[in-house]
Amino acid sequence: MRYITFVKMTEDLGDPPPALVEAMGTELAQSFADGTMIEAGGLAGMRDSTEIHLRGGTITQTDGPYAEGKEVAGGYAITEVRSHDEAVENARRVLELHLAHWPGWEGSVEIRQMFSSPG
Amino acid sequence: MTTEDAVTAVWRRESVRLVAALTRMTRDLDLAEDLAQDALVTALEQWPEGGVPANPGAWLMAVAKRRAIDQFRRNDTLRRRTAELAHGLEEAEVPDLDAAVDHIEDDVLRLAFLCCHPVLPPESRAALTLRLVGGLTTQEIARAYLVKDATMGQRISRAKRLLAESGAELENPTGAERWQRLTDVMAVVYLVFNEGYSATSGDDWTRPDLCREAMRLARMLAHLAPDEPEVHGLQALLEIQGSRLNARHAPDGTPILLDDQDRRRWDQLLIRRGLAALDRAEELAEQGRPVGSYVLQGAIAACHARARRPEDTDWTEIAGLYDVLARIAPGPVVEVNRAVAHGRAFGPDAGLAILAAVENVPGWHLVAAVRGDLLERAGRQEEAARAFRDAAALTRNADERRILLRRAQPGSPGTSGRTGGTARPPAAEPPG
Repeated sequence: MRYITFVKMTEDLGDPPPALVEAMGTELAQSFADGTMIEAGGLAGMRDSTEIHLRGGTITQTDGPYAEGKEVAGGYAITEVRSHDEAVENARRVLELHLAHWPGWEGSVEIRQMFSSPG
Repeated sequence: MTTEDAVTAVWRRESVRLVAALTRMTRDLDLAEDLAQDALVTALEQWPEGGVPANPGAWLMAVAKRRAIDQFRRNDTLRRRTAELAHGLEEAEVPDLDAAVDHIEDDVLRLAFLCCHPVLPPESRAALTLRLVGGLTTQEIARAYLVKDATMGQRISRAKRLLAESGAELENPTGAERWQRLTDVMAVVYLVFNEGYSATSGDDWTRPDLCREAMRLARMLAHLAPDEPEVHGLQALLEIQGSRLNARHAPDGTPILLDDQDRRRWDQLLIRRGLAALDRAEELAEQGRPVGSYVLQGAIAACHARARRPEDTDWTEIAGLYDVLARIAPGPVVEVNRAVAHGRAFGPDAGLAILAAVENVPGWHLVAAVRGDLLERAGRQEEAARAFRDAAALTRNADERRILLRRAQPGSPGTSGRTGGTARPPAAEPPG
């Protein structure tokens, strides 16, 4: 089962503490060594993002930055796991690391199963 | 998610490191597994109340270690009482468990060596590896191999007993011995993959999952022994072949051969990983590390993966790779595939020349089927029809027989110059 997870937080939190960066690096290396992590990466800030919308028959475009206070994805990970629970457990570990190394941090991890591409 | 589900998920993540470290501490595979299972039971009792700990792997390890120490103390107490040894228990009697927690990676590799130990028959090696290195339950392995739980349970217990009786231990050999043991582990991973790849269906723990588990084991191995090109070659081969899992069968289960697959269904993420693994193998090879059949097969698979359309396939490159493969790992299957590749690269006559020298394996239809294909491409229709009929008489697969007989008909859709059809010989892609 392939999953994509997004770590989400508000954008006003600044840079992560070095201890978290290190702990996340160790966690990521472990997941790659276990063969469950397929790909991981960060996402540019919403300031540099664009959304296009189709509303009432018209396509419109809005560019960032957007109103602050909204939780947005800062990074993603694609994993191959054997159950949904395993994906949830992996995500929980990420939050445990944030709890341990980034005092006051709040955010969430979105866990979504990926389906194989249609033929 | 219930706590029980969480415990299962934790087990899948952590069990291999747990069992590997405990086997090193106790020098007893069975005891190590028992201790790890005990820790799991404790987790099932305590986590519903207190919640899943922040670092569940460390938690399980701490509990298991405590049990191990208790066990050693108990054994020592027993020994003191029964043998009435005057000097009794020294500190040395309790192994230094804390010192043993380091080098978990080495422990995991040693555990893989032990599970694939030469004293074990191949199917036992696969079962034990999936259980202890893969962290699967006996039920999951039984389902994957389509045997009864009890049968798989017996196979695993017998394997453990055989290891204990033969005095096999965790070892970290060097030089040629290390290479041989790595070769054994790679062979088991490849066996597990092919067990899944040659199957078509299943429901819960389906056989494609066996392929995915083998891919995961290959990735683990590439991290445990990153200095060997062949290990990366195996990973490349499995990722690239695995990328085609969704394209290899029609909805009704009929196999679809490589040239006829809808390449949009190939998993590009796995292909990219496979190509990256192959790059690593080739970098190491450039530094002088020896290359073997996995790197070569991975390179052949990569040629197919890079071709957006079948007609873009670099058959000259593939023919050259098969020439090397035939030298280092000779055999009739390689020769048949080499004939196909040369036939595509240099014309049917080149393929027929190679095929003529292949020693026919009795009851094997592939040689005749490939000969039919090459003759057809050469425009020698009557001889081709005869070869297809020979092949049809030899195959035990009804679908395949039907296709071969259709190709034996004059004016069949599979005349020379065609690029589609379903009756291409099942070759030119090891192992299918």
